[in-house]
Amino acid sequence: MLRYIVRRILLTIPVIFGILTLVFFLGHVLPGDACRAILGERATDAVCAAYNHAHGLDQPIPVQFGNYLAALSHGDLGTSTKSSQSVLDLLIQRLPVTIELGLAAMLFAVPLGIVLGVVSAYKRNSIIDVVTMAGANVGVSIPIFVLGLLLAFIFAILLKGTPFALPPSGRLSPGLTIVPLATSWGLTDWTGIPRGIIEFLSNMYTFNALVTGQWAILGDAIRHLILPAVALGTIPLAIIARITRSSLLDVLGLDYVRTARAKGLTERNVVRRHALPNAMLPVTTIIGLQLGSLFGGAVLTEGVFNLSGVGRAIFEAISSRDFPTVQGFVLVIAIIYLTINLVVDVSYAFLDPRVRLT
Amino acid sequence: MSRTRKWSPLAVFGVVAIVFSACGGSATPAPSSQTSAAPPPSVVASAPASVEPYTGLSYPATAIDCAKKPAGYTGEFSSIKAVDRYTVEFDLCAPDVAFLSKLAFATNGIQDADWLAKHAPDKSYVKTTNGTGPYMFKEWVSGDHITLTANPNYWGADKPIAQTLIFKWADTAEKRLQDLQAGNGTADGIDNVAPDDFDTVKNDPNLQLINRDAFTILYLGFNVDKAPWNNEKVRQAIAQGIDRKRINDTFDPPGSEVADYFTPCSVPGGCEGDKWYDYNKDAAIQMLKDANFDFSKTYDLYFRPKVRGYFPNPPGVAQDIQAQFKDLGITLKIHTEDNATYLGNSSKGQYSLFLLGWGGDYPDMTDFVDYHFGTGANGAFGKKFDDITALLTQGASELDATKRLDIYKQANNLIRQHVPMIPLNHAASAVAYLKDVTGAQASPLGNDVFWIVKPGDRTQLVFEQNAETSGLYCGDESDGDSLRNCEQIYDPLYTYAPGKTDVIPNLASCQPNTDGTQWICTLKQGVKFHDGADLDANDVVTSFAVQWDAKHPLHVGNLGTFDYFPALFGGFLNPPAS
Repeated sequence: MLRYIVRRILLTIPVIFGILTLVFFLGHVLPGDACRAILGERATDAVCAAYNHAHGLDQPIPVQFGNYLAALSHGDLGTSTKSSQSVLDLLIQRLPVTIELGLAAMLFAVPLGIVLGVVSAYKRNSIIDVVTMAGANVGVSIPIFVLGLLLAFIFAILLKGTPFALPPSGRLSPGLTIVPLATSWGLTDWTGIPRGIIEFLSNMYTFNALVTGQWAILGDAIRHLILPAVALGTIPLAIIARITRSSLLDVLGLDYVRTARAKGLTERNVVRRHALPNAMLPVTTIIGLQLGSLFGGAVLTEGVFNLSGVGRAIFEAISSRDFPTVQGFVLVIAIIYLTINLVVDVSYAFLDPRVRLT
Repeated sequence: MSRTRKWSPLAVFGVVAIVFSACGGSATPAPSSQTSAAPPPSVVASAPASVEPYTGLSYPATAIDCAKKPAGYTGEFSSIKAVDRYTVEFDLCAPDVAFLSKLAFATNGIQDADWLAKHAPDKSYVKTTNGTGPYMFKEWVSGDHITLTANPNYWGADKPIAQTLIFKWADTAEKRLQDLQAGNGTADGIDNVAPDDFDTVKNDPNLQLINRDAFTILYLGFNVDKAPWNNEKVRQAIAQGIDRKRINDTFDPPGSEVADYFTPCSVPGGCEGDKWYDYNKDAAIQMLKDANFDFSKTYDLYFRPKVRGYFPNPPGVAQDIQAQFKDLGITLKIHTEDNATYLGNSSKGQYSLFLLGWGGDYPDMTDFVDYHFGTGANGAFGKKFDDITALLTQGASELDATKRLDIYKQANNLIRQHVPMIPLNHAASAVAYLKDVTGAQASPLGNDVFWIVKPGDRTQLVFEQNAETSGLYCGDESDGDSLRNCEQIYDPLYTYAPGKTDVIPNLASCQPNTDGTQWICTLKQGVKFHDGADLDANDVVTSFAVQWDAKHPLHVGNLGTFDYFPALFGGFLNPPAS
C-alpha cells in the first residue's frame, strides 16, 4: 500500500511539471499584455514599457520560465502583476472560499444523491423512481449559471421579506465582520507557515465561526452559502443519484442478495446491510471525480453569487494577463485534483477487500 | 458500530450549532467602530501658524531649468516648494490653464509625508490609508469589500452622514441590480445600470435612477496611414455617410447625445467651430466614387465586446456601422478582440478601422483632445496632423480665455477636416439607489461623493461598484473604482463640486502669477490627518514629489506606473528608460 502511494506521488511530479509548462507557455502566447489589460485606454507605450520592465515581462519567455521555476523551487509562487500581492497570500484568501463552497455543495449533493438513488432503486419503476430520475436528468442538464440566477431571483427577490429569503451574493451581510482565528486564539504574533495555516482556516468562515462560537456570523455565513451550494451541488447530486440507482440495481440482482433474501431478511436490511456497501464502489469514484470537477463549476457559481474564490480569481487573472496568479492557482488546483484522485484510489482498498493496491 | 457511537456527540453538537446559528435570527451588523487612535476634534482655522521653526521642502533641491530641461524630461513642473507651513509654490515651465482642474483629480489627494515614510518599508500604504477626508479606512477583505468609517474630526462643512461606508463590487450590471433589488442591506446603491435596465429601475417603486450626464466620447477611428482610409476625401465621405443619430437613438441610454464634436459641449472650447457633417448618404456615395473608392473589396472593422461607460452596446453599434457601410456599398468584416489585445493593437495603429472611446477625467479640453491628437498621442490614428498638434500645444498654455476658445475652434475645424475619426455619440450612464436614499448624485466625472448621502434610516451605506479596488495609494491608481474610494478618504487641494464639473477650492486656495507659470497655494489651517497629524505644506510637496519623481523611494505602489501623473503634468522627473 505504502509503495503504491509513494509511487503515485512520484508520478505526480512529471504531471505537475507538464501542467506548469503548458499553463506558462499557453499564457504567454495569448495576445495582449498585462499593462494594457490593467491600465485600459490610458496605457501609453512609455508607461507600459516601464511596467513590463518592473515586472520582468520584457525578458525572453524562456528566461521568465527559468526565473519562475527557480522561484518555485524556493516555495515562491510569485507576485500578482495586477495587485502586487503575493500569490500565496491570494491563495490563502481565496482557496478557503472555494473549499468551503465545494464542501457545502458536496454536503448537499452526496447524502441527498445517495438517498434519492437508493429510494429510486428500492422503488424501481414506481412513480417515485420516475420523478426522481426525471429530476436527475433536469439537474444534469441545467447549466449552473442559469440555475444560480434562477435561485437568486426566487430566493432574494421574489421571496424578499419572507422567512425563506436568502442573500444573493457575498459571504456575509455587509457590516458583519468575522474575528480572525489568530485574534480569537491569541496567535497574532505567529508568523510564517503556521500563521498561513491559521489564516487559511480563518478564511473558512463557517469553520472559524463554529470553533470560536461566533454564532451570528455562523448563521449568516450558512445563509449565504445555501444558494451557491445548491447551484453548484445540483449536477453532482443528479449524477450521484443516477449512479447509485444503477449500481444498486446491479447489486440487487446478484446471487448473494438472493441468498440474503432467502434467509428471510427484510428487503430494507438486504439493501442497507448487503447491497448498498457493495454498490458504493462506483459511487465513490464518481464522488471523487465530482469533487475535483467542482473547481470548474466554481468559476461560474462564484461569478453568479459574487464569491471571491479561486474560480473568480483565475477568471480575473486570465482577463488581466496576471500570469503569476494563473500559474500559482492552477498549480494548487492540479495538486488538489491529483490528491483527490489518489485518495479515491486508495479508498477502494478499504471499501472492497478484493482490491489490492500494488 | 462503536465508531458511530464515538462520533455521535460531535455530530449532534455540529448539527445543533448549525441549526442554532441558522435559526438565530438575522445577524445584525456590528456598530461601526470608531478608531480609538482618532484624535479629538481639532480647532479649525486660524490656529497660530508656526510657533516652532519650520523647514519647508523644495523638490527637487535645485529647480529644473526650463530652458535646459534634463534629457528625457517632458514634464511641466520646474519645482514644488513649501514656502512656509501653510504655503506651497508650484513653479511651471509653461502656463497650464487646466492646472486647478488637474489638482482636483483624485490621484492628487494629499498624503501625510511622515506616515508614508513610516509605511514605506512594507508598502502597507497601498492597502491602508491616512488621509484628511470624510471617511477613514477600516478594513479590506480581499475579493469581497472595503469598509470605511466616518471621520469624526472631518474638517469640511458637511460631516459624513452614514457612519459606515462599504464598497462592494460585482462585474456585471445584472448582478449589481439583483443585489440592489434584494434589499436587506445587500446594496443601497449601484454603479452603471445597464441601459436595458433603466426602465426596470424606474418602474420599481423601491428604487430610483440617477442619470450621469454624458462626459464621454465614442468614435469610429481610422488609421490614416492605411488604405483606403489614407485618403482624406474617403474619410470625409464616410463622415457624411454614417447616421450617428440612428446609432444614438437605437443603442444609447436616455441622456446620451449625438456627438457633433469630439469633446462634450460642457467643456469650454469643446463645441467651438463647425458642427460635424450632416448625414447625407447620397453625397457620401458620390464622394466615394469621385475618390475612386474600391467598392469590390471587403474591409475590416475592429471592436472589443466590452461594455464601457462610453460604449453601452458594443456589438449592436458595430453591426449597425457594418449595415450603414453596406448602405454606402462598402462591405465590412467585423473582428473582435479581447480587452488587453484590443487596446494594445489599437494604440500601435494596427487597426485600420476601429471603435473606441474615452471617459473624461477632468473638465478641460486637454483631457480629451491632447491624449488623442496631441504630441503625445499614441499611434491609433496613424500619423499625427502637425497643424492640429501645434494648435493643441498652444491651447494648453493659453491663459486668455477668448484666445483659447479661438484656438480650439481652429483645432475642432481641423479635426473635422482631417477626419482621423468620426465622433459618434456622448453616451450617458446612470446609477441606481434604494428609494429612501437621499443626497445621492452621479457626477459626470464619476467622482461621486458619499459623505452627503443619507441611506434612509440606516447608519451604513453600501455601494456596489464595477470591480474590486486595485489599491489605495491613489497617485498610482488608474481605475475609476479605486479612485472613487480614494475620493472619500483623501482630499486634493481643489475638488469638483458634488455631481458637477465645477472646480472649487478644497484644502487650499491657489493664485497664479501674471504669466501663469507660478501658483501659490495657501492651505487651510487646522486640518488633521486621520491619525491626528497636522496637514502642512511639506505633505503637499511630498504628495506630488512621489508621483513626479520616478526615482523617489516612494514612487513604488500597487502597479508602479503612476500613469495619471504624466498624463496630467506632462512627464516624470527622472523618467524610466523605455
